[in-house]
Amino acid sequence: MTALLEVENLTVRFPMPKEGLFGPRPYLEAVRSVSFQVEEGKALGIVGESGSGKTTTAMATIRLEDAADGAVRFQGNDLLSLDDEGMRAARRDVQLIFQDPYSSLNPRARVSQIVREPLDLMDIGTAAERDARVKELFKLVGLREDQLNLFPHQFSGGQRQRISIARALATNPKLIVCDEPVSALDVAIQAQILNLLAQLKEDLGLSYLFISHDLGVVRHICDDVAVMYLGKIVEMGSRDDIFERPQHPYTQALLAAAPSLSRRKSKGYTRPLTLTGDPPSPINPPLGCAFAERCPRAQAVCRKDAPVLTNGVACHFSGPAE
Amino acid sequence: MSRLLDVSDLKVTFGTRYGTVTALDSVSFHVDQGETLGIVGESGCGKSITALSLMGLIPTPPGKIAAGSIKFLGSELIGLPPAKLRSLRGSDMAMIFQEPMTSLNPVFTVGDQIAEAITLHQNLDHENAFKQAIELLDRVGIPSPEKRARDFPHQLSGGMRQRVMIAMAVSCRPKILIADEPTTALDVTVQAQIFDLLNEVQREFGAAIILITHDMGAISEMADRVAVMYAGRIIEEGRADDILDHPQHPYTRGLISCIPSLDQTQDRLREIPGIVPPLHELGAGCAFAKRCDHAFDRCLTARPSLSTAGHHPNACFAVEEQRL
Repeated sequence: MTALLEVENLTVRFPMPKEGLFGPRPYLEAVRSVSFQVEEGKALGIVGESGSGKTTTAMATIRLEDAADGAVRFQGNDLLSLDDEGMRAARRDVQLIFQDPYSSLNPRARVSQIVREPLDLMDIGTAAERDARVKELFKLVGLREDQLNLFPHQFSGGQRQRISIARALATNPKLIVCDEPVSALDVAIQAQILNLLAQLKEDLGLSYLFISHDLGVVRHICDDVAVMYLGKIVEMGSRDDIFERPQHPYTQALLAAAPSLSRRKSKGYTRPLTLTGDPPSPINPPLGCAFAERCPRAQAVCRKDAPVLTNGVACHFSGPAE
Repeated sequence: MSRLLDVSDLKVTFGTRYGTVTALDSVSFHVDQGETLGIVGESGCGKSITALSLMGLIPTPPGKIAAGSIKFLGSELIGLPPAKLRSLRGSDMAMIFQEPMTSLNPVFTVGDQIAEAITLHQNLDHENAFKQAIELLDRVGIPSPEKRARDFPHQLSGGMRQRVMIAMAVSCRPKILIADEPTTALDVTVQAQIFDLLNEVQREFGAAIILITHDMGAISEMADRVAVMYAGRIIEEGRADDILDHPQHPYTRGLISCIPSLDQTQDRLREIPGIVPPLHELGAGCAFAKRCDHAFDRCLTARPSLSTAGHHPNACFAVEEQRL
């Protein structure tokens, strides 16, 4: 297996307002030295609570956010050191699907224009070829040709997400970053879009960097999973590792928190493990393990030394759930 | 168990530019003391309108309760003078909304807002009400409640705000708590906390809960009984186990099987094609017929009503004629 995308020690900092005129500028470290790989034709899911840095990680990977440190190798090129023109060329192979299908499509453009725009910008093919490609893409994502000249508001949420997908596919990318692509959709529509994404991955050999807070969705679509907490990956492994044999107490708590049809009130189900409180502030992250305050296994050492990711888990007391 | 709420043949209409549409059509259900009724369906199925009509909060006009009855502890709520309804609302019936940020007033501290609810319904001065508010914040699991009571909504996280809403809702020990998608905007971990809290509040205060959700997983964890809604009607109802283990209506089956499972890896999700039809486009037939694999000629000409032909009440001709 060759890695399509290799991210090493990626770090993202955001400047914060100064406390005084002459004081040092504080920084918020949203992503703290994150490393992962996405293999060709595979999907890596990044899960975590809001504020865990999953979206920032993905955005920094494709340079929509500036990285403070680290390296991103995509097909052998270091994306972070490419010049503007080089990066523009690289974007042909890296595309993006946003969470909100309502605000991510230009309301004044006809959908055919929206899907065609990447081809125009990248100067791919002749005008006739571009039009043919748009028609082909419409068919691919399950839209009809007679819808080509409509505006985004004439489509439902699920259909709009299909338009976003068509736009992302226009330049024949290798990697698509999916930022919560189904979380704004109704459950029934969500299944339609997930099936479409799975089908496209198989047919076109696409790779996904898939961000979601919904563990069921990630289990369905991703081959590998990284769990993030306060800017760091706390556990990473194959889908089966993460869902069948989670080692980190945070992963276990996330899995226990997700609703599931097998957890039945009528059968007297009570949650074995509930996380209390909220994650600590990323402005002043704790010295030791960021999860220690909420962790049922935390000991003195956890508050002193931050655990490092070894064998796919970053925890001093990793192991199966009790 | 005693009957708290009895809704029968409720019909709610809205005047729109397409003419009058029926948002709720012969909706009947009941809620007993201390139980949780889950109402499930996609957006646009009438779940929230059901909740609003119980609370007497249907915007009139354009909305109107056109027919039916809502009996709370035996007395009719429809047609009650606004002042009477107001005194019921908040004391005997309380509601938790989807978006805690927009349902809290941004210019008052959360303690003041809870205290206001208390002074409105109980004979207490503000100072004592504020003390009670702090106690309630403590009860719903907010750390350092005395400090937090003096915070404004924007200073709290989403989960904390929803806890404040729950504190406010239970402040007058309501008999029924209506939770309209209370965890939609929240993380799974916070959702789990809120669900656990609601269950705890139910045990402690003995309140009945009406949980409105689109998530069958939430239904499984929370509900004793379930009503499935589609296009303004209840199309299936039963005990949670009946609905989850023996779903009858193709829509219910679809809702259950379209959720990506947490417990096993599936190849392909069963999807429900299409979308919920707009209310003004409902024809004579079953509202689900266009999306249904099992639709046959009868489904296109008549709209089925709840019948007991299957395992439990459901509204489907295919079930009735044993075509599934």
